[in-house]
Amino acid sequence: MVSHYLSLSIILFCLGILGVVSRRNVFIVFMSIELMLNAANLGFVALSRLHVNMDGHVLALMVMAVAAAEAALALAVIILLHKHKGNLDTNIFSLLKG
Amino acid sequence: MTHSVTYLGFIPLLPLAGALVVGLMYLATCQGKQISEKIYGILGCVGPVLSFFMAVKVFFALLALPAEERFLTHKAFTWFAVGDLHVDMGFLADPLSSLMLLFVTFVGSLIHIYSIGYMAGDKRFGKFFSYLNLFLGSMLILVLGDGPVVMFVGWEGVGLCSYLLISFWSEDRENVVAGNKAFIVNRIGDLGFVLGMAFLFWGIGAGGFDYLSLKANAHQLTAPVGVIVCLLLFVGATGKSAQIPLYVWLPDAMAGPTPVSALIHAATMVTAGVYMVARFSFIYAQVPAAGEVVAWIGILTALLAAIFGMFQNDIKKILAYSTVSQLGYMFAGVGVAAYSAGIFHVFTHAFFKALLFLGAGSVIIALHHQQDIWKMGGLRAKMPITYWTMLIGGLALAGCPPFSGFISKDEILYSALANGHVMIWMIGVLVAGMTAYYTFRMIFIVFHGNPRDQEAYDHAHESPKVMTVPLVILAIGSFFAGSANIPAIFGGHQRVSHWLAPSLVEHHPHASVGLEILAIGASIIAFVIGISIAYRKFTVAVEEPEYQGLQKFAYHKFYVDELYHKVIVVPYQFVGKAITRVIEPYVTDAPVQASGWLYRMFGLAFKVVQVGYVRIYAVYMVIGLSILSLLISRSLNF
Repeated sequence: MVSHYLSLSIILFCLGILGVVSRRNVFIVFMSIELMLNAANLGFVALSRLHVNMDGHVLALMVMAVAAAEAALALAVIILLHKHKGNLDTNIFSLLKG
Repeated sequence: MTHSVTYLGFIPLLPLAGALVVGLMYLATCQGKQISEKIYGILGCVGPVLSFFMAVKVFFALLALPAEERFLTHKAFTWFAVGDLHVDMGFLADPLSSLMLLFVTFVGSLIHIYSIGYMAGDKRFGKFFSYLNLFLGSMLILVLGDGPVVMFVGWEGVGLCSYLLISFWSEDRENVVAGNKAFIVNRIGDLGFVLGMAFLFWGIGAGGFDYLSLKANAHQLTAPVGVIVCLLLFVGATGKSAQIPLYVWLPDAMAGPTPVSALIHAATMVTAGVYMVARFSFIYAQVPAAGEVVAWIGILTALLAAIFGMFQNDIKKILAYSTVSQLGYMFAGVGVAAYSAGIFHVFTHAFFKALLFLGAGSVIIALHHQQDIWKMGGLRAKMPITYWTMLIGGLALAGCPPFSGFISKDEILYSALANGHVMIWMIGVLVAGMTAYYTFRMIFIVFHGNPRDQEAYDHAHESPKVMTVPLVILAIGSFFAGSANIPAIFGGHQRVSHWLAPSLVEHHPHASVGLEILAIGASIIAFVIGISIAYRKFTVAVEEPEYQGLQKFAYHKFYVDELYHKVIVVPYQFVGKAITRVIEPYVTDAPVQASGWLYRMFGLAFKVVQVGYVRIYAVYMVIGLSILSLLISRSLNF
């Protein structure tokens, strides 16, 4: 039963990675990251259930708190990026190109 | 037994502080509204004048002590201590340095005051006074320093200031070249000084590296090291005091403003070499052979410069060669172990040479920067004070009894004769005659006869009081300075020689009345012959002659400058060019460039990875993390 939950978690995580790697809009990339975080949360909770202890739950709660803080920061950064270039295509921000 | 007094440190500090204050004021205002010359003049003169009063105080403090205890010291701070070498920023006033102090600060102050008049209207008035103060401060460090290292600080300081002041009017390329020449030639001498110091330290430095310790340990110095030390130090002296072969910078140094020439020639800089040899008399006394070299170089310089001086047309160049010539006398004096006679000539020379330069400056200003004596003439009527003061200076320089120059020069010549250096004495007498000739050639052409340039003559006028008062004071000094050391034959007591005795190591020859009369008689005869030839030739209306043959050779200064240029400068430039064109690009730069190229190639290879898109970096991260996870799970044996 738990293995289904874990499978779902892995699928969601891979979708998140795919989103980060393939999409060019900063918002979509950001949402994909959120997806990955929640996939990890699902995994924590499922494993917590499997091992019958509460550590996984605690960790899941903490990840949610971190995700909330990260969302606040990331949205501010996205606004600044938009102010800076007037566009949210990640390919524009390529200063590190060698 | 030494006494420690704090005010010794203030003597060099005051002019240095003046240099700083005036210099900063000038820097702050040189772009905008200028500060009035009066303020600069007063601030610039305060330091030297106060230093002079302190020098007088030092003199009387020493006078109050018994002769063998006449040492005042002041240790400001420990400069550095490395192994055996322990160097303090310390000052020492003994009879020798106090005598130097007295006339350096006195003549220096007068030149400062005179400069207020001479430099009036110059747009860099403040800068000039700042440099002048720095110059005097450096010279005072040189004189007061209690060891060779502190002396070297002042030694370099005066070298720097001479460069700054000679090329003061830097709009003119010629002045800049002259400043560079002075600096570079002096550097050659400085190398000798540094090496000499190193050998001295190697020899007897372990027991302390200040004069008093060195003097106490001097007997441990082995003869070969002693000779090397003496000769290397003398190389330093030839640079600073313009002796063969490094004298070439001094005549060119005339490019600077006239007060600077006066300061360089009379009070500071050129006397440093003589002072240094006298300071190290405890070493020179041990190696008479080195002294012999010094004396010969000195007397030959005196002869050579006198020959050049006889054929110059520029009033300042004539005086410049006379300085080189007189410095030659001083070295002949210290070379034949008559240190007090040499130093005494430095002392009297400071007065009459400063006087002659300042007088020449007065003439130059009156004629609107005309320096060619063949454009002057008859100025006696227009500039009486300048004429009479310069006449006194000229008589002192030419060695007319009873002027100061006669007494000091005769002391040197007599010492040479009494110590058995007959050849040196004979050349010295010959040079004395030549000195009288070229000095009065200059004075007769400039002040007597008819004006050669009527228009300039009509506009000529006597200089302002701020310039003539120093002239009068110096003229009085030039006349009476000799009375400090009247030899016994004239009923004097040789006060200066006795005063200097505790600082110097010298053996007075047995006084011989016959030799002394011979020396004095020969000097007077040489003077009379020299002046009468000049009188015969130059008091009549005479125009600039065309020099032929040997005279032309002398007029062009034996082509020594050209020779140096061909033999030293041109090959040196060739070597320099060869290095920049061959060695630098192909030998030293090539490996550096190659290593840079190598790194660039590496960079090119790795550059493709850096695409700049965030997504791709995310892919790298995923790949990296996947590999890492695999490795970890493998090692944990899942």
